[in-house]
Amino acid sequence: MTFFSEIGNYSVFLAKVFNKPERKRILFKEFKEELIKLGINSIPIVIIISLFIGAVITIQTAYNMKARLVPLYLIGYLVRESMILEFSSTIVSLILAGKIGSNIASEIGSMRISEQIDALEIMGVNSASYLALPKIIAAMVFNPILYVFSVFIGVLGGIMAGSLGGLISVTSFIEGLQFHVHLYYIAYSMIKTVFFGFIITSIAAFYGYNVSGGALNVGKASTKAVVNSSVAILIMNLILTQLILN
Amino acid sequence: MINVVGANKSFGSNHVLKNVSLDFEKGKTNLIIGKSGSGKTVLLKSIVALYPLDSGSVFYGDTDITKLDSKKLKNLRKDIGMLFQGGALFDSKTVLENIMFPMDMFSQMSNKEKLKRAQFCLDRVNLVGANNLYPSEISGGMNKRVAIARAIALNPSFLFCDEPNSGLDPTTALLIDNLISEITKEYQITTIINTHDMNSVINIGDNVTFIDGGEVAWRGDKYNIFDSKNQHLQDFISPAMLIRSINR
Repeated sequence: MTFFSEIGNYSVFLAKVFNKPERKRILFKEFKEELIKLGINSIPIVIIISLFIGAVITIQTAYNMKARLVPLYLIGYLVRESMILEFSSTIVSLILAGKIGSNIASEIGSMRISEQIDALEIMGVNSASYLALPKIIAAMVFNPILYVFSVFIGVLGGIMAGSLGGLISVTSFIEGLQFHVHLYYIAYSMIKTVFFGFIITSIAAFYGYNVSGGALNVGKASTKAVVNSSVAILIMNLILTQLILN
Repeated sequence: MINVVGANKSFGSNHVLKNVSLDFEKGKTNLIIGKSGSGKTVLLKSIVALYPLDSGSVFYGDTDITKLDSKKLKNLRKDIGMLFQGGALFDSKTVLENIMFPMDMFSQMSNKEKLKRAQFCLDRVNLVGANNLYPSEISGGMNKRVAIARAIALNPSFLFCDEPNSGLDPTTALLIDNLISEITKEYQITTIINTHDMNSVINIGDNVTFIDGGEVAWRGDKYNIFDSKNQHLQDFISPAMLIRSINR
């Protein structure tokens, strides 16, 4: 029952968010600020995680290929495919659900308990749209860019780990990168990141917006936002993979 | 002029407002007083339609706010200024940006005109040198003054203040009271103030309503409040009478 009422409330919230904005100029200004807060500020964490994961995938793949009759360049191929298909889209989005999801839920939740949202409503501002819409659009626009960053950095991490660890030469790795390229996979993953961007920001904004009580509930809303958006990402990943790849 | 007619509001089994009927005059400071938990804030938030009433009406002139659709409600709210208990300034905006925000959203003014109006509002609340500070960088009294400046930025016809003096020292509280009273009379605004500060009542209580257990228990003004026969009101104001007796 609670699940269905939450889905209902989430739908009502989204209907409010996607109302016509009061001022497009203000929406654009807020959108630019959110691009920096949610997008550009997420680049460092994406770089760090992607670099290390790319390196680890390379080492693990090389370890499993020892003494087998498979060409070494497949290490580069596997790193590329892992990054493109799943890591840079889904795993990075799960990490971002933790970083920006909790940030959004606590920011909006704090505004709720300090009556800033009431102040917006009293002024006649559609508070749900004003607060959530710029964040949703910014995440949907910037997530694919973060995905591209992640793929390149992950591959770079793989090259560095492979060559510095003496596992595979740079030439062989690059040969693997160029092996059997499916551009369609990149499109598939980029589509996923757009959906994931929507899920992370809208669910976090929903939980933040509906906080009641005090600071303790802001923390609870933040946790709920991260957990539920992570689950929603995994479900959406399954649905989109079934729809696009099959 | 605002009229509340037969307002009822419950939260679950807790009947907070019980058939409240009141009128609030234009150009006067209308105070709602009562103990914590008596229903003052619920009444104030119901009047501005932040809480929907279970039954009853709230008339702004001839318009019943409880019957308005969301579009008309939004339009009416552009004529409302509200001062919240904690100020409710936007943390991410500077003092000047906070005051310009309602104008950015709803006025057709040029940026220069908006700046001029914001500066006028800041001067009106006697706040200088704080334009580029953030709410976290100013004192509680300054916070309230910025909130008043923001509330009057669009020349509202109705001003609502929820515990404007909470957390302020007596001197600053007096300044805020006087400021609200002056603005009310100067711009002929219908002002409703929620408070449990008896100093405010004595200072600016043109019309005073005592709410007790969600009901209107007494109405009058600052001159006859001490002569009231209502025992609950006498209990409520007794600390203030104590101060008076000490002064005598």
